[in-house]
Amino acid sequence: MAPLNTNTPYRGRSGEDGDSQSSSSNSPARADYEESDFYAGNNDSQSSIGVPTFQDMAVSEELKVAPANRLPAEVLIGIFSKLNNPQDLVNCMCVSKRWARNSVDLLWHRPACTTWNKHGSICKTLSLPDPYFAYRDFIKRLNLATLADRVNDGSVAPLSVCTRVERLTLTNCEGLTDHGLMGLISGSCHLLALDISGDRQITEASMFALAENCRRLQGLNISGCKKISNESMIQVAENCKYIKRLKLNDCDQFDDSAVLAFAVNCPNILEIDLHQCRSIGNEPVTALISNGQSLRELRLSNCEFVTDGAFLNLPPNRTYEHLRILDLTSCSHLTDRAVEKIIDVAPRLRNLVFAKCRNLTDDAVSAISRLGKNLHYLHLGHCGHITDNAIQKLVASCNRIRYIDLGCCVHLTDESIMKLAALPKLRRIGLVKCSNITDRSVYALAQARVRHGGHRIGVEDAAAYFGPGSSLERVHLSYCTNLTLKSIVVLLNNCQKLTHLSLTGVQAFLRNDLEQFCRDAPPEFTEHQRNVFCVFSGKGVNDLRAYLNQQSYAIGDDYDPRSVDDVDDDQTMTGMMGTTTLNGDEDGDVDADGDEDLENEDPVQT
Amino acid sequence: MAAEKSSIITLQSNDGVSIDVDRQVAERSMLIKNMMEDLGDEAISTAVPIPNVNESVLKKVIEWCEHHKNDPQPAQDDDSDSRKKTTDIEEWDQKFMQVDQEMLFEIILASNYLDIKPLLDVGCKTVANMIKGKSPEEIRKTFNITNDFTPEEEEQIRRENEWAEDR
Repeated sequence: MAPLNTNTPYRGRSGEDGDSQSSSSNSPARADYEESDFYAGNNDSQSSIGVPTFQDMAVSEELKVAPANRLPAEVLIGIFSKLNNPQDLVNCMCVSKRWARNSVDLLWHRPACTTWNKHGSICKTLSLPDPYFAYRDFIKRLNLATLADRVNDGSVAPLSVCTRVERLTLTNCEGLTDHGLMGLISGSCHLLALDISGDRQITEASMFALAENCRRLQGLNISGCKKISNESMIQVAENCKYIKRLKLNDCDQFDDSAVLAFAVNCPNILEIDLHQCRSIGNEPVTALISNGQSLRELRLSNCEFVTDGAFLNLPPNRTYEHLRILDLTSCSHLTDRAVEKIIDVAPRLRNLVFAKCRNLTDDAVSAISRLGKNLHYLHLGHCGHITDNAIQKLVASCNRIRYIDLGCCVHLTDESIMKLAALPKLRRIGLVKCSNITDRSVYALAQARVRHGGHRIGVEDAAAYFGPGSSLERVHLSYCTNLTLKSIVVLLNNCQKLTHLSLTGVQAFLRNDLEQFCRDAPPEFTEHQRNVFCVFSGKGVNDLRAYLNQQSYAIGDDYDPRSVDDVDDDQTMTGMMGTTTLNGDEDGDVDADGDEDLENEDPVQT
Repeated sequence: MAAEKSSIITLQSNDGVSIDVDRQVAERSMLIKNMMEDLGDEAISTAVPIPNVNESVLKKVIEWCEHHKNDPQPAQDDDSDSRKKTTDIEEWDQKFMQVDQEMLFEIILASNYLDIKPLLDVGCKTVANMIKGKSPEEIRKTFNITNDFTPEEEEQIRRENEWAEDR
């Protein structure tokens, strides 16, 4: 199709009153929630409403006009931007020419390609020789993720006329090849974010096109695109210097040179996720940290070649205050020395994951304790050397921990858990296979929660006035084989916010009558794993509570609710590249223990 | 800090009426706040003319500012937040906005001019709620807007935007 001459004035566009035909990213469109967290930057959608200029108020000549007609364009747009339903926006477009001019770009800002019918209808309009508006230029976001399984080069071809796209989301479009993607990319100099994760056919040809065309790019997710070469990524790094977010999961074809290129050329990197980039060594890690002036989130899970050197080689006497999230799951060569150095140079770390760093000992935990109240999230699963001493010290210094996982830390006893239970903000605790712990731990978790919510009044009153007093939401106790029903009943009753309770392999819960409340075991489980599987979530937790109460397992304990100072509730920070959205269903993500992998934290509440 | 600012300033509507307001209340208006900062004490001693707003509207706007004087100031770059909540309006504001259409639009225009974002936001939400679910013709009737499309043009718009229709 011959390209439409965009210089031709469209009939509807000859706005004499300076109506907005925003072509920048500043169009006051609704904020975008459905899209992946990957794009959740706050750098767009600045409103133009409410900026007063005296010319806007040329009221005097228009006094006879109906009041609605006196609204300046930016106010009209402000009104239209409150309309979430596209149907309402279409109706506004049909009201008058002025209303149409001021609503059209909101409607087309992010056209909903959510069904093939809509997709077809959008493509049809885009291919019209003489449309009422230049719709193609209004499109800033394109997301074909909901149609992914049937997207191919043909289905994106009509969309290639849209050259002002800023965010392009093509997650899991396995049928898409370079031919289709390059059509979309070429000429798209406004592109800020591209997500082609799971598009396995894409090769370096598209990346060279990206480097050539999209120099303003800030976010790139090519997870699982294993046909993309090192050379093309170096080209992207050299050309797209504004990259802030980079996600290269499972791209084990990349060696140090590709990642190093980003570290050297892109000083603005905020978040980089190299999960399972198994070929990556120390050099790019050191470079990313030391060059990244604002690096906030670094994920290196399963990068097993990363060793202490990656951190010990950091320049002395420098700190990296921006670093908040560090995930080193299964970087199994790491020792306490690396952890000590990490805490030295990044004192404001908030989320730390050292799961399966099996060499770590109490010295590492002691170093982590120095993070103090900055630490919100700590995963030390499978760090089997850790003892009660270290945990007690940790709790004493880091009282804002919301999430802690100590699964398979087999030396831990009730002494640790009773301290952890007192953490005022604790929401999730993972103690899978901490087989020394007994009902005392569970009572502690249950009781400390009540104290926190109780505020100097009786337990019943607390429930009435403050609602559920406990902050605990997820408790993982699988294979804590000493536990009995009685303590769990108390936990259930005192923790009304509980949405997840896992008790796989706990003898007291291997009862036929409880099975009805238990979630189904994942399909890949063996017969034995099925037999011991015992996880309650969501409604299952409530039903279990109700059932056990009916069976009258009385709460025999006397509580002593007393006031605990409430620390101001700042939110746990989870990264924009948090794994939740991209990994999909958490339920499918099951650890070898027969319990969930705890690394997938849900988006945090507001 | 609040105590330090608790001086009275005088606003003058475009129909010549002077209204005394707590400075803290008046400074819900970013226009006035900035003016105060620029002019300093000079502004306190003389009446501040508000050329585009008449007495009844100005009083109404001040009523809103009075009620909301202790609200946190909206962050400069945080207007995405107001959009998140679609068209939910708190109860007091809903009642406040139960005025005739002329007044509703005057409040919106005034809040736009005076740069009182949260009030403008409430106004926009109120109008958006009046639009929701209405056909184009019903919208025109509600707001007394003339249809300047030919039937062919209106049909063309419908056709080209068909994807957005609920079905």
